[in-house]
Amino acid sequence: MIAPQTLVFGILALLGLLSMVATYLAVTERDLVKAVVFSAIQSTAYAFMYYLLMAPDIVLVYVPVAVGLYPAVILFLIKKTERFEGE
Amino acid sequence: MKAWERIVIGASMVIFVALLALVYTLGALGYRVPPSTPRDLAMVYLTMTFNPSNPLFSAMAPEAVTAIVWDYRGLDTLFETAVFFLAIIASVALMRGVSLPEKPPSSAEGMSLIVKTVTKLTIGMILAVAASIAFHGHLTPGGGFQGGATAAVAPLVALVVFSVYFLERSGVTKNRMLGLRSAGLLGIGLTAFLVLIGSLLSGGTAFVFQNQPKPAAPIGLPWRIDGALTGGTLFLFNVFEALAVSAGFTIVFLLLAVPEEEAIKVVRGGEDGH
Repeated sequence: MIAPQTLVFGILALLGLLSMVATYLAVTERDLVKAVVFSAIQSTAYAFMYYLLMAPDIVLVYVPVAVGLYPAVILFLIKKTERFEGE
Repeated sequence: MKAWERIVIGASMVIFVALLALVYTLGALGYRVPPSTPRDLAMVYLTMTFNPSNPLFSAMAPEAVTAIVWDYRGLDTLFETAVFFLAIIASVALMRGVSLPEKPPSSAEGMSLIVKTVTKLTIGMILAVAASIAFHGHLTPGGGFQGGATAAVAPLVALVVFSVYFLERSGVTKNRMLGLRSAGLLGIGLTAFLVLIGSLLSGGTAFVFQNQPKPAAPIGLPWRIDGALTGGTLFLFNVFEALAVSAGFTIVFLLLAVPEEEAIKVVRGGEDGH
């Protein structure tokens, strides 16, 4: 039987790894729309981590800002500039 | 992207995680994270945030985070709000006089009927959740900024699914949002002085940003109205902050949705250098 605390730490570690992979993909991706999606995946992992770290106030501001408003603003900017990153 | 750039980015991330793990293993954050007992400072706030037996030090709201944000360190939050709204005022000033073209282009009809119907339902739900987060901010996790940011998602979704012309037709215009935002900010300003004004009118003194009675300033806002907890000024701050934040974000989205040619025409200005 796994202790609940170990389980929480394990999920935290998995979410941290997921966020690292998403960050790497967001930085290296040349299609900026895909990069925004990777960034949103990283934000989602962080939102779950904040929840597991017992910070519901941060979750409630992180979900609308980092998953909703911030990707939307970036997508607006990409629409007005260029979708693919140049050399 | 070149191969060596990928290697540099990947290696720097691995080194960052390895260093963090090393710091953690060496016990720089303590050997138990989170610690098994709350810190002394945390205990002070946890025992004082709602404590009718010690009203001089209590914010009389069971939500410690909101009590800290709008009461114990209320002035910091006021200036944070000021920074946020200076940024919005700057974008409004930069885009002054920018307006949508009179005639909507034929592409401004929005997405399909299915998406629109689902969105109509979802917008109602988003606004209900936002109201719940903002108006219960003094009781449960949440507060004005959280509720306002959630509410701002509703006009954003409507903007993408319907069009900016639909928002304008249904009354969400830049000037109205500016009015709402100003009303919210005015409310925050007035709430900060509410106890002081009441105290001066009754011949006493009080502090700026006072919520509950303090030594030498015996007047405070009621923390309980008919059995329901209000948190004194906290409820008012949350309501006005939600109003100001949601309207502020909406202004930015409305400005971003103006076609680029129109915006550039205005921002570039005339030859006379206005």
